[in-house]
Amino acid sequence: MSKQNENSMGPERHPWVSSFLEGWSIFRQNLLGKIGLTLLVMFALMALCSYIPPWISPIYDPMTGVDPDITSCSGPCLRHWLGTDFMGRDILSQLLAGARIAFMVGISAAVMSIVLGVSIGMTAGYMGRFIDTLLMRLADMIMVMPTLLVVLLLSAVFGQLNIWTIVLIIALFRWPGVSRIIRGQTLSLKQRPFIEAAKVAGASHFRIIFIHIMPNVLPLAFLFMTFRVTSAIITEAALAFLGFGDPGTVSWGMMLQWVWKTGHMFQAPYWLLPPGICISLITLSFYMLGRAMDEVLDPRLRKEDQTD
Amino acid sequence: MELRKYITKRIIQIIIIFFVILTVLFLLFRLAPGDPVSMMVDPDMTQEDAEMLIVQLGLEQPLGMQYLIYLKNFFTGHFGFSFHYGDPVVDIIWDRLPNTVLLFTTSIILSALVGVFLGKIASWHKGKKVDSIMTIGALVTHTVFLPWLALILIWIFAYKFGWFPINGMISEEVWLDPEAGFISRALDVMYHMVLPLSTLFLIHFGAYLLIMRSSMLETLKEDYILTARAKGLEEKVIRDHHAAPNAALPVVTSVGLSLAFSINGGALTETVFTWPGIGRELVSSVSQNDYPLAQACFLMIAGVVLISNLVVDVLYAYLDPRIRY
Amino acid sequence: MALLEVDNLSIGYNTKKGYLKAVEKVSFDLEAGASLGFVGESGCGKTTIGMALMGLLPPNGSVKEGRILFEGKNTLEMTDEELRKIRWREMAMIFQAAMNALNPVQRVGNQIAEAILVHDPSVEKDQAMDQVENLFRLVGIPLDRLRDYPHQYSGGMKQRAVIAMALACRPKLIIADEPTTALDVIVQDQILGEIKELQKEFDLSIIFISHDISIVAHMCDHIGVMYAGQLVECGPREGVFESPAHPYTKALLSSFPTVTGKRSDLIPIPGETPNLVVPPHGCRFCDRCSGPEASCSTEPPQWVEIAPGHRALCCRC
Repeated sequence: MSKQNENSMGPERHPWVSSFLEGWSIFRQNLLGKIGLTLLVMFALMALCSYIPPWISPIYDPMTGVDPDITSCSGPCLRHWLGTDFMGRDILSQLLAGARIAFMVGISAAVMSIVLGVSIGMTAGYMGRFIDTLLMRLADMIMVMPTLLVVLLLSAVFGQLNIWTIVLIIALFRWPGVSRIIRGQTLSLKQRPFIEAAKVAGASHFRIIFIHIMPNVLPLAFLFMTFRVTSAIITEAALAFLGFGDPGTVSWGMMLQWVWKTGHMFQAPYWLLPPGICISLITLSFYMLGRAMDEVLDPRLRKEDQTD
Repeated sequence: MELRKYITKRIIQIIIIFFVILTVLFLLFRLAPGDPVSMMVDPDMTQEDAEMLIVQLGLEQPLGMQYLIYLKNFFTGHFGFSFHYGDPVVDIIWDRLPNTVLLFTTSIILSALVGVFLGKIASWHKGKKVDSIMTIGALVTHTVFLPWLALILIWIFAYKFGWFPINGMISEEVWLDPEAGFISRALDVMYHMVLPLSTLFLIHFGAYLLIMRSSMLETLKEDYILTARAKGLEEKVIRDHHAAPNAALPVVTSVGLSLAFSINGGALTETVFTWPGIGRELVSSVSQNDYPLAQACFLMIAGVVLISNLVVDVLYAYLDPRIRY
Repeated sequence: MALLEVDNLSIGYNTKKGYLKAVEKVSFDLEAGASLGFVGESGCGKTTIGMALMGLLPPNGSVKEGRILFEGKNTLEMTDEELRKIRWREMAMIFQAAMNALNPVQRVGNQIAEAILVHDPSVEKDQAMDQVENLFRLVGIPLDRLRDYPHQYSGGMKQRAVIAMALACRPKLIIADEPTTALDVIVQDQILGEIKELQKEFDLSIIFISHDISIVAHMCDHIGVMYAGQLVECGPREGVFESPAHPYTKALLSSFPTVTGKRSDLIPIPGETPNLVVPPHGCRFCDRCSGPEASCSTEPPQWVEIAPGHRALCCRC
């Protein structure tokens, strides 16, 4: 273990590369993981395609585009494949723009909360004693806070929140789960001989944490990232659905809020169904990806073939 | 004895957490941009009423004093007056709280029980068709976007088929009828609860099913299962009396951890179905800038989550003797 | 007729690397009231034999060939239900208690009573608890610990409870798989002594599985030495100890304190155990043997009779 880390800068195949290839071969046997990844690629394509409709014609702008001939909610037609909303805006281009927002919100909030969670977890686990207790009590406290309602309350106090503030708040409230796991990992790593060796060799705390401990907890952190992505997407969508989203962005939750608030939910299934299906599917695909990664990372599941 | 120590410890922790939340809320509303008076006092009040309220809330005092008054008001049940309803906030809270508790606890208990039961069956048929159907079903229902699921359920079962009411918690004709007894009123509430409950149930049971399934599979590899098998017990007995009680423990833990998440879902469900609960009140008070009500609702929801956490902890201790003794 | 006759038993596991031949062509007999000890390093197949006798091989394991005759009946041909009924009633197992052999959420007394109740439906719950009390007296656990949970027991007490459980249905055969490995030496000694007394008292047959040859020597009147899935030497205790024939037995004995208490030079055995997915054609110990002959690595070794009842699988003997 320690050897691998010491030599990790060598010219031979990096140990991370080989463990990645090994993991990939396990992942490829996992049906759910493959479905999840395929769906995610499709959503990514949707996000990329979101730039096309407004570029074709300004009437396809998801936010401001209004078809001069249509001023109310109308069903699918040749010009608007998924129909239009109550103002005559194109639903397909809104849906594509929503994919972009979902990825943006999900990934940035997840990255932030993982960075926070990993650094706090490693600090708590490595430092121990008072700092550990303090940080973990804080984590306990934040863990029992319902994130959606917290954002709601903050938007009551500070008024309309923009999308980046929402992302930031989600990240600030979603680190404790990660940091608990990472702390546990760090605690067990701390006992390993190679950390002792590094200490004896005079490495600084900073160096031990970032050079010796971090590479070993990162795979786990990546696993948690997939779950954090889903929770961030759901929280933003729910917030937008309740009418507290960023009014300057078109998210899927916002689309559902429009259907619901304008009372079209019983009349316009072509408007009600797509955004809901998209939110649910993107959540499902990240979730499946996470479960597949879990199987790759969890050695317990691999030792099916135990002998005596 | 150990159990009492454990519960006392948890209660103290919960009280501390609640105090921190109380304090953070105080600071949030007093130090927020803008004038604290406009945050706490209805702009439509008469001058005299407003001045009286300012004195009662201690808004003209220094911050430290304000905090003490705030604590005193909290313990004596003075939360101020709702801007929107004009009534004392505490009355509104007491009116809505039971409705939330009813929906929330029923949904959690139901989904946990069904999840554990189905997860057990799925693990027993690992790799077979039953297992695949259940696992995929659980994954899909668990990841469906809750408000959308609620809308779809309303659309199909309330609008298309007209089997259930679209919203609300009671029918006026039943409740205004002086003849109607407790049972018919309770049935009426249950009738209104079917769709919101189904929404929350569908979202939550999948997670518990998946946890129970994998926990069962882990438990079945334990040595005491081998012992049970060696003892010549029937497979059914091994599954139900030896594996399941152990495998259910992580499910209980996860119920506790997911309470905060569940209450988010509860608020969304209440809003979509206009269920007169505290979550819906929070959402509408935020959109109406009804600050005193929003603050109190949030506090109550935090209280509900913390107390449910305690209940789950006690349940865990009851199920796992390693904590009790 | 012997109580247990194992004939040409081969067992394997399906693994990702291929079919692993964990046990190959093992034969032995056990008379009623006798004791047989299997000794060998981990992975040599001794636990697999124990599990196969109980019919408890893991799902990826299977018996490839051979017979297990228990009182003349082949257990491998029994249905699951028949097998379930003789388990514990006829043959029980003493597990290693440190490995969590007791269910953590059930009271120890109830777990033992359960074994009695399942095999004798005529017994009432109260009677079963009385029997458990007797068993507790027998193995020396205070009766007030009857309603405790496993985590409240010390390691030695758990082991005693596991022994009490094995005796619950008065079986004819007990398989003890490393029963004292995790215990400290003093407790280990006490428990081994108790097992020995109980064996005499109830006229039990015991199969004792251990990696520690000194324990096996202490406990059993017959010894089977296993190496890489094969039984390599088998015979009465005195025979195997006084004139070990197989080089592996000799190597094992060299690390064992002699009866006089003087430890002869400890000779570690160099080399590794062979891969059991593709086992070598010749003698499996060949690579680690101190003086192999040219034919050893090419010809499979044959059984050689050293003395009546004492045989070894080595062509140099």
